[in-house]
Amino acid sequence: MEMLLMGLCVAVFGAGVAAAAFGAATRSESPKSAVQPGLPLVKAATAPRFFSDTIATSPAISTQQVPIEVLLLQIENHVRMEQAAAESFLAFPSHAQLHSKTNSPFVN
Amino acid sequence: MTHELVNGLSSAEAEQVLGLGTRMIVPSGTSLFQLGDPADRLFLVERGRIRLTLPMRVRGQDQDVFVEERGPGQAVGWSALIPPYRFTLTATAVVHDAGVITLPREALLKYFSANPAAGHRIALNLAVIVGHRLQLFQTMWLREMQRTVEVRSA
Repeated sequence: MEMLLMGLCVAVFGAGVAAAAFGAATRSESPKSAVQPGLPLVKAATAPRFFSDTIATSPAISTQQVPIEVLLLQIENHVRMEQAAAESFLAFPSHAQLHSKTNSPFVN
Repeated sequence: MTHELVNGLSSAEAEQVLGLGTRMIVPSGTSLFQLGDPADRLFLVERGRIRLTLPMRVRGQDQDVFVEERGPGQAVGWSALIPPYRFTLTATAVVHDAGVITLPREALLKYFSANPAAGHRIALNLAVIVGHRLQLFQTMWLREMQRTVEVRSA
């Protein structure tokens, strides 16, 4: 009877040690995956922004929200500004005139 | 007023050319011609503004998008003298009623045959008008392409 109880105690102890070893092994793997070289790079590429996921809108979406009359007016203003820039180039052709930056809000 | 199409002609010749046409009023908001229409006459703007537009697909619909505006002294609709004789833009009077002289192609060609020197001068003037439009839009096209290249290579 004593032998049986002792054997049971040893078995329970052994199972406890095995469970502790398994737990330790599992914990040690998680930090390893967290320090993989790829992940910090991905995080670094994203600029920190508060509530960025909720307020960020793409240019296409914001353009959709503009009334069509306003959008057409923006296009017209852009065309007029680009014609003025082109006229300046034709009056005094140069690389600088040709590639001068536009102030048109439509493309900025 | 000096019309760019008859620039360099004597005043008598200019009067003869203008006399080939008829004056008409284009009420504000009314089209002078539409894209694709047969171009059998060109127009000299005497007063008001003529807005030239092209259709652009905006949000799934054709919208007239501003291309250029022409005013007094300038010619509109030179497709009337260039094959395939179809207007490639839509022209509309804007802001106020516009006054134009309508010059039929047939009358102009007859006049050129009878007055080759004046016809030559008018052809040169037309080349200046067409050439300027070409250079202008060539420059605008390159600037737009430049921006696209910069965005794509950024």
